[in-house]
Amino acid sequence: MREITYSEALREALRQEMQRDERVFIIGEDVGIYGGAFGVTRGLFKEFGEERVIDTPISELGIAGAITGAALTGMRPVGEIMFMDFMTLASEQLVNQAAKIRFMFGGNATLPFVMRTPAGSGTGAAAQHSQSLENWFVHIPGLKVVMPSTPYDAKGLLIASIRDDNPVIFIEHKLLYKVKGPVPEEPYTIPLSTSEVKRSGQDLTVVATSVMVKRSLEAAAQLASEGIEVEVVDPRTLKPLDAEPIIRSVMKTGRVLIVHEACKTGGYGGELAALIAESEAFDYLEAPIVRLAGRDMPIPYNRTLEYHAVPQVENIVAKARELAQGRI
Amino acid sequence: MAIPVIMPKLEMAQETATIVEWLRQEGEAVEKGEPLLVVETDKITVDIEAPASGILAGVRAEPADIVPVTEIIAYLLEPGEAATPEMAATAVPLPPPPAVQTAPALAKTRATPAARRLARERDVELRTVTGSGPRGRVQAADVQTSPITPERPAPAAEVIPLQGIRRTSAERLAASYQEVPHVYFTMRVDMGEFEKARASLNASAQRAAAPHVSVTALLVKAVAWALQRHPWLNSTLRGTEIHLLPEINVGVAVALEEGLIVPVVQHADLKSVSEIARRVNELVARAREGRLAPADVAGGTFTLSNLGPFGIEQFTAIINPPQVAILAVGATRPAALVSPEGQIVIRPVLRMTLAADHRVVDGALAAHFLAELREVLENPTLLLW
Repeated sequence: MREITYSEALREALRQEMQRDERVFIIGEDVGIYGGAFGVTRGLFKEFGEERVIDTPISELGIAGAITGAALTGMRPVGEIMFMDFMTLASEQLVNQAAKIRFMFGGNATLPFVMRTPAGSGTGAAAQHSQSLENWFVHIPGLKVVMPSTPYDAKGLLIASIRDDNPVIFIEHKLLYKVKGPVPEEPYTIPLSTSEVKRSGQDLTVVATSVMVKRSLEAAAQLASEGIEVEVVDPRTLKPLDAEPIIRSVMKTGRVLIVHEACKTGGYGGELAALIAESEAFDYLEAPIVRLAGRDMPIPYNRTLEYHAVPQVENIVAKARELAQGRI
Repeated sequence: MAIPVIMPKLEMAQETATIVEWLRQEGEAVEKGEPLLVVETDKITVDIEAPASGILAGVRAEPADIVPVTEIIAYLLEPGEAATPEMAATAVPLPPPPAVQTAPALAKTRATPAARRLARERDVELRTVTGSGPRGRVQAADVQTSPITPERPAPAAEVIPLQGIRRTSAERLAASYQEVPHVYFTMRVDMGEFEKARASLNASAQRAAAPHVSVTALLVKAVAWALQRHPWLNSTLRGTEIHLLPEINVGVAVALEEGLIVPVVQHADLKSVSEIARRVNELVARAREGRLAPADVAGGTFTLSNLGPFGIEQFTAIINPPQVAILAVGATRPAALVSPEGQIVIRPVLRMTLAADHRVVDGALAAHFLAELREVLENPTLLLW
């Protein structure tokens, strides 16, 4: 199969959906002529024109309000917030309006929009351009939260998100944009709320999100050479979560390591840990549920400090090894 | 000048000693070489002599104190010499060794949820499993490899009240076994002639349509014959008196489903073999039917218990008070014997064990009785004596 980057996969999803459905349009800062801060929408302005690829001023709340309103009137907009950090500015429309409207109108309104945004550290973009705020939105009923980790998932999940009738927060990762992977040329969807086992193993389950899936797979490959077989499960959609593959995996391995980039305190890992503990997998646990997550600190600008602020492959290897060897 | 009294090191590996007592009080005079105090090591208790003549002062260790060796425990002062404040320093005995401490048992066993589930499924008691995980945590694998501990309650036993014959014999046997000093003697008997005699008697019995003569019946006759010659075996102990009994009434132990009963052949010495056979048959039959009269079981002076029919070769019995002896008879079996001519011969052999009350029956007495009984069993013609 053809290999393209995560960024190209997203662009292909957008293009194919815009070709398929004229209600789909793009709106955001520098998404048009510039082609997006990370180049995801490159070329789309030329192909679809300024009516369907709309550049805005620096006005995140405006973008969120525009897609909320457009969705309400029957369009299927795809907004972009250049850095997830600025989802904070868009939050009022997303949290207080978009998430609520469908419920407050008794189901008489739908909000079929996607808000794309890149999260994460690793680019030297410092504390205000490196956050992973997914759990802010996981906490809000009425929003779906999607976090693809591969080019294949990025395309399939974005198409599924555009076709979904609910507001979807679609969280990309800056470090994944240039990652290549096999992606079919034709349009396809990956149903939202489907977790996927990315690698099978019987010694330990690693549940990871976004770029941590990639790091966990690298860690698993290293550990396999030591005879430790790690199963890597990627929730892909954080909300609503498809918990069953995670629970089944933990029941198989008895040990689970949860890895995410967002700060540990109040992070998605706590939710996953509780969910596992509450599930039938509890009776199969052979060790405490362990989380490996970002330190509870703003991401430093200094590259060395930035590196150590979030889990890296070697951290995952070490923690997974400890857990698999029964030392925790 | 004050001479210190030092806790001596009496053994190579000794580190401490315990003060047992001071033989002189504070302020008392002592001569060099006189015992001053007693100390105890973990091996010995020993008097410690005064290292010098003087007045005992500044005693720093009390009886029961454990003191490291070479520690100063007191001083000896010259007459007129005053104790210095340092001498009065309080002793610093070691704290007594801690009693063997058992760590307080944790109320809960450290175990993973998976181990707990497995233990439930396999009925394994988690407390009994050694944990291989961190801090001794029981892992699922530990449960898997642990033997199943059947700690479930034992199935309820069928309860049979101890009553009737069984209760009476239980009480009497227990009392006898606790109160009477039993002593046992075993002897082998060549039963060849006995069997011949019995066969001859039974041939006559058959012709006369008289009762069959069992081994037990003929044994009763022989025992009565021997008891005539050894009246101490046919006695009873009353307080400080041994009463040699005027009658020989041989009890025969009969096993019934409801317990053991001992009907009695009265005047066994005066009865013919045929009469004894009839009486024994009758008693056994009545016992089995539960129709024994009180008189049938009263007045026994000696008891015979024959487990030969059950294949038992040798056993010991418990004396049936107030009797002083009981004879336990096993089965007659072919066995190799050395004949008087020094030949190995195969003969029918019976083993009999006399249990006697040692307060009345001494070993020699028992031996004489058994020898006489063997004599008559091996030469039944003597019964005609």
